[in-house]
Amino acid sequence: MEKMDLVIASSSITEAGIGCWDLDSGAEQLRYKSSASTQHGLTCVGQRFIASAQLREPSATSGSVLYWSWSKPQAAVKSFPSEPIKPFVSNSVGTYVVGGGQSGDIYLWEVESGRLIKKWHAHYRAVTCLVFSKDDSLLISGSEDGCVRVWSLIMVCNDYESQRASHLYEYSLTEHTLRVTDIVIGHGGYNAIIISASEDRTCKVWSLSHGKLLRNIVFPSVIDAIVLDPGENVFYAGSRDGNIYIAALNAESSSSSSYGKHILSSLYDHSKAVTCLAYSIEGNLLLSGSEDGMVRIWDPRTLNIVRMFKHGKGPVNNILVVRRPNHLTLGAFSNSHASSRRQCSLLPPPLEKYVNMDEDANKTTVVRLATACNIPPDAPYYSSHIMDEHIKQVEQQGSSAANEMEVERLKLENRKTMHMVEQWKKMYDKVHEFCVNELLNGDEVGSTN
Amino acid sequence: MPRSKASSKKQQKQQKQRGVDFKKIKRKLGRKLPPAKNATNTEIKSKAIVLPEQSVASEKAGLALSKKGLTLKELLQQTSHHNAKVRKDALLGIKDLFQRYPAELRLHRYIVIEKLRERISDNDRVVRETLFQLLKTVVFPACKEDNQGPFVSLMMAYIFNAMTHLAFDVRLMAFKFCDLVVQYYPPSFSLYAEKIIQNYEDILRQNQCYLQDKGKLKSALAGLVRCLSLLPCNKRNTESCEKNFTGQRILHAFEPDVPTESAGFSLIIKKPKDLVPVLVNCFQEFIPLVHSMLLLDTQSFDCMHYILQSIDLAVGFVVYGIRQGKPALHGGPDVAIWDQTISSVLLKRFFNVFPLNATHNLSEKFDDRFFILNIVIAQIFLHYSEWICPPAVLLEKFLEFIEVALLGKVKGLLLSNLKLERNFRILMEMEFKFKKHYDLKICSDTRSGKAVWEKHVLSLLPFIPKLIQQVSSDWKSRILQAFTKTFEDCSPDSSLKLACLSAIEEMLVPTDEMVCPDSSDPLFEHQIIWIRALPALLILVDDKHPSSSQVVLHLLLRLGQRACVNSSFAWEYDNIQYSLCKFYGSCQEEGGICYGPFIRLPRDSQELSVCGLYYFSYLDQLSLNSIACCCLCPELEPFVLFRIIEVLHSSFNNGHIQIADHISFFVTLLSRFKVFPENINPVVENDVKISNRGTFKLLTNAVCSCLSQMGDDSLVFQLLEKVILDQLLSKPPLDNACAMLRMLVMLDSKPTRLSEQSIITLSKYLSGYLIDVGHCIPEDDDDTTESARIQTCYYFFLPCFFLFDRSHKLLKLALNMMGSLITESTTSPLSQNYIQYAMDRSNRINAIVSTLLLMHKDAKVKTIISLFKVETVNILQIIYSLQSSEEANMNIEERHKIQCAYDRLKIITGVLHNELPAI
Repeated sequence: MEKMDLVIASSSITEAGIGCWDLDSGAEQLRYKSSASTQHGLTCVGQRFIASAQLREPSATSGSVLYWSWSKPQAAVKSFPSEPIKPFVSNSVGTYVVGGGQSGDIYLWEVESGRLIKKWHAHYRAVTCLVFSKDDSLLISGSEDGCVRVWSLIMVCNDYESQRASHLYEYSLTEHTLRVTDIVIGHGGYNAIIISASEDRTCKVWSLSHGKLLRNIVFPSVIDAIVLDPGENVFYAGSRDGNIYIAALNAESSSSSSYGKHILSSLYDHSKAVTCLAYSIEGNLLLSGSEDGMVRIWDPRTLNIVRMFKHGKGPVNNILVVRRPNHLTLGAFSNSHASSRRQCSLLPPPLEKYVNMDEDANKTTVVRLATACNIPPDAPYYSSHIMDEHIKQVEQQGSSAANEMEVERLKLENRKTMHMVEQWKKMYDKVHEFCVNELLNGDEVGSTN
Repeated sequence: MPRSKASSKKQQKQQKQRGVDFKKIKRKLGRKLPPAKNATNTEIKSKAIVLPEQSVASEKAGLALSKKGLTLKELLQQTSHHNAKVRKDALLGIKDLFQRYPAELRLHRYIVIEKLRERISDNDRVVRETLFQLLKTVVFPACKEDNQGPFVSLMMAYIFNAMTHLAFDVRLMAFKFCDLVVQYYPPSFSLYAEKIIQNYEDILRQNQCYLQDKGKLKSALAGLVRCLSLLPCNKRNTESCEKNFTGQRILHAFEPDVPTESAGFSLIIKKPKDLVPVLVNCFQEFIPLVHSMLLLDTQSFDCMHYILQSIDLAVGFVVYGIRQGKPALHGGPDVAIWDQTISSVLLKRFFNVFPLNATHNLSEKFDDRFFILNIVIAQIFLHYSEWICPPAVLLEKFLEFIEVALLGKVKGLLLSNLKLERNFRILMEMEFKFKKHYDLKICSDTRSGKAVWEKHVLSLLPFIPKLIQQVSSDWKSRILQAFTKTFEDCSPDSSLKLACLSAIEEMLVPTDEMVCPDSSDPLFEHQIIWIRALPALLILVDDKHPSSSQVVLHLLLRLGQRACVNSSFAWEYDNIQYSLCKFYGSCQEEGGICYGPFIRLPRDSQELSVCGLYYFSYLDQLSLNSIACCCLCPELEPFVLFRIIEVLHSSFNNGHIQIADHISFFVTLLSRFKVFPENINPVVENDVKISNRGTFKLLTNAVCSCLSQMGDDSLVFQLLEKVILDQLLSKPPLDNACAMLRMLVMLDSKPTRLSEQSIITLSKYLSGYLIDVGHCIPEDDDDTTESARIQTCYYFFLPCFFLFDRSHKLLKLALNMMGSLITESTTSPLSQNYIQYAMDRSNRINAIVSTLLLMHKDAKVKTIISLFKVETVNILQIIYSLQSSEEANMNIEERHKIQCAYDRLKIITGVLHNELPAI
């Protein structure tokens, strides 16, 4: 079977842009330009296009979100949210994107229309990372204040319930003492585990179903990135001292290694701080991005480096492993201009800045579920809002037929009403007769008495 | 002799009789006749017949015996003897036996318990008491570790039986037994809760009984309190219990299928509710007693206290169930009716007795008693008010009490506010009577009164946060005022302070909702007071009570985390850093450092406070200064030092620290860090106790990696260049100089970023530095320790080599300087050199030569230095001329040394010379 994984890596400096490699062959693909991504600010929206939150410098007061279509190096769509967005993720099918703001707000946009569906105050301080659960129903956010919160999107979007409840979140996990740097979630629906890493040198394993701390692992240095092994036997933690530590998850590790309890071993390549990690399930490979601008690919079984990609001078801060979109066969970048133009036109509009309140406040968003796996990769998902527009258009086109139907309906109604009037008239006559008779009789009786 | 006569007669007679008729057949002795042929066999055969042994005579060797020599079996038999005294003795005997042979108990515990349980409903009081003692002191403690389930179930059946016994005494005693079981095996309560509570309810209904035997009633009630306290009534408690288990659990494990305790309790929600009215009734029985009696005797007081505690726990549980909002707890259509009955019972019949007050006496001790009872009533009320909003009048009454209780002037209130007239009259009457007693008491009791006050006010504090959300703003400010006063007045090590702190945490940084401070709220003013009091408290506590410090630090961290950006809390939090300077340590003007409590706290507290640094929206020089002071303290653990650097660097990355401040913090660390021992000795380097050079190397690495992550290297370099040169010119110890050179090299690039002027300055310094380091190089490197020493020297040389590689000019200037240093007089005060160790001329020459030799050994440096052959030869010539010109002034040893050095250098230059054509 042909391997289809692409590696996408971004950097915090503009010159480096977003690099893209074929994981199997190692061939570099198109490089998307002028991107200064934030940490956790790179996402691939439903395999349709690449989106990244941009921040020129840490203290900047405004940021942007850029979209790149697969085939063009220049950013195609630019949006300017009301505040700098740091973490930026989309759900797995690419209907929604979520961004975490500097002030602790979380923004939820619909991709297709760019509408800002919901914005809520989630944390006391800046949001640092956002993760969707595997079934996309829960959102887990980490913040600078050391807090990890679990949000149910159903609860968040339900205005009535959320006003009634004392708090929006499902759980607020506050054991970390410093900034949360990364969060991952395991498989297993509501019984999954959450692992959060923080600058306080610990990683904490939580139970999603109970919202309780299950395990606390202290590392020799600050952990900036974590990734789960697909079997959830271990997790890999990239630290600032350049090591990637391997920590045990399933078994109670009795022997404590030289690194500390639960830490089994480490991967080390004399690199600078490890800033991001990713795992390719297809190739069973571990990818790490480092402060020195390299993307290293490890074989987790042998703990050796398989391949290295040079990204650029600046630190790599995000790595994604994505399946190659179907329309991008090898070499498609260079020679299929026609298709690229088509793709480009499909990019959705920019994201809105504010929640639009007056428009259809009572309308709830409808998500069409992916019913089968044979849906074309760029099948659009629409909200009711868009559907309404479509319906309106359809109505306008077929107005004559609609008019005929309306006339029929009115005729029918008219007939009914006429019938009713007849009946009422009869009734009135009867009553009238009755009353007159009564009166006359009464008089007669009275007169006789 | 009649007898002998008779016998002889008889013999004669026999002899006489031996006549014809009775002819004696002679037989041989010892032989038996063969049985006659027609004889019937009369022999009876059977298996062994065992007769019951007499206890005195039985064989007891090897068996465990009591003092009276009885075995366990016998003793157990005797426990069912009809004589009470024997039963009692048997029980005592068992106790004695088990104390002697604990193993016996373990072997026979089920048999023993099966027998003993029959005595629970014994008619004789003494027997029951003895049994109780036996179980309490011997049996239960010994069986504590075992699986107690079957054990308890054996007991419980009999206990329940005894609880319904006709004799009142037996019933009361049964509760004592039940209490004992629950005490040793708490889960048993959840199994039998319904029945136990039902029984309590029944006994308390019989109100004619309790006033008779208060001692028994008291102990039964104590059991009730214990049972009820096992009910989950407080969120906080259950959470803290669960916290203990974390870390031991296996991830991905299935949850155990056993029903958890609280699930069991959800079924019995109705029972405590039923209990409340009964308890209230019971309590009211005592009320007339209080009013009528002159003194509230200890037993009645205890009973009342227990009753109140039970009501409190029961109400707490009910409210907890409601707050949990579980349908299981709510369930059933009649729940609302139940709730109403309790609430009306409490409202109409219970709360109106409040406040209880002494009618007759004024002694402190009795006042304390009423105070305690009132506090518990207030507690019940507060539980109740969390559930249903009470009528305003009642609320007012309680709020007044709470305010006064917090202020600690209860006695004054109770006297002044309530029935003042009557009290006054009584006071006049009593004054004389109690004068003596009172005078004596008042001095001694003020302290104990204070202790009592502290202990009981404590229980009110957890309710304060909820309470202030409910009451009107007028009361809110009054209660808060009183609370703040309590907080400020209590001693920093008391549990009261801790309770205050946890209440403050709840009001300051609530977890549930996101609250931003509202300056119009009366709460706000107090919040600010509390925030400002925290750092002072931290310094006041010092390292005497690490747990209090920990709580305060935790609170501060939470405050930092949750202070909304740009709110007044954030502002207050930022200001805390100035007060915290004292906490970390401060450099005094005389140069001495005054370390704060930070250094002496345990590591987790240190970590907490370091984490708190991250949340300051800015850290100014003053605070950085005091933190740096702390970092330089030799007692500080390296771990904490690195944590501080890590956190400050994150803080810098977030823009909370100015770049100049941050750099100067690093430079301060590296230039001031005291490395000991001062002379370079590689052997001890790895021993943390003797030398901290290893730590310093790690520190240098940490600082360098931070610097390299700061952004544009050339900009950082420009900032750093001048600072470092200034520092170097002030002749720091070699270690610190090396660290600073490393810092410079880290940010430098090839070709160098150093300015022309700094190259000249640096060359001057480096000449001295190289000589000093060269001074440490041993001459012969055969020994292993010596080669280790060369390694160390190499560590010092390495930054110089990088600099030389990047700027050849620097090397040239440095070599020239070294040449000129040879001739320079060491004693001349005008000379500007940077040599600190190799003061002696011959040593100096030796050091220079060693340095040059080492440079030639390194392949890469050799290629560079070979470009400067002229300078090397120049040095050689200077040494040569020195040798010839000043021969007279030198002694032989010195001359020899210089000669040796000269020879060694000559070989090198010769090698160079030979190689030159090749290049």
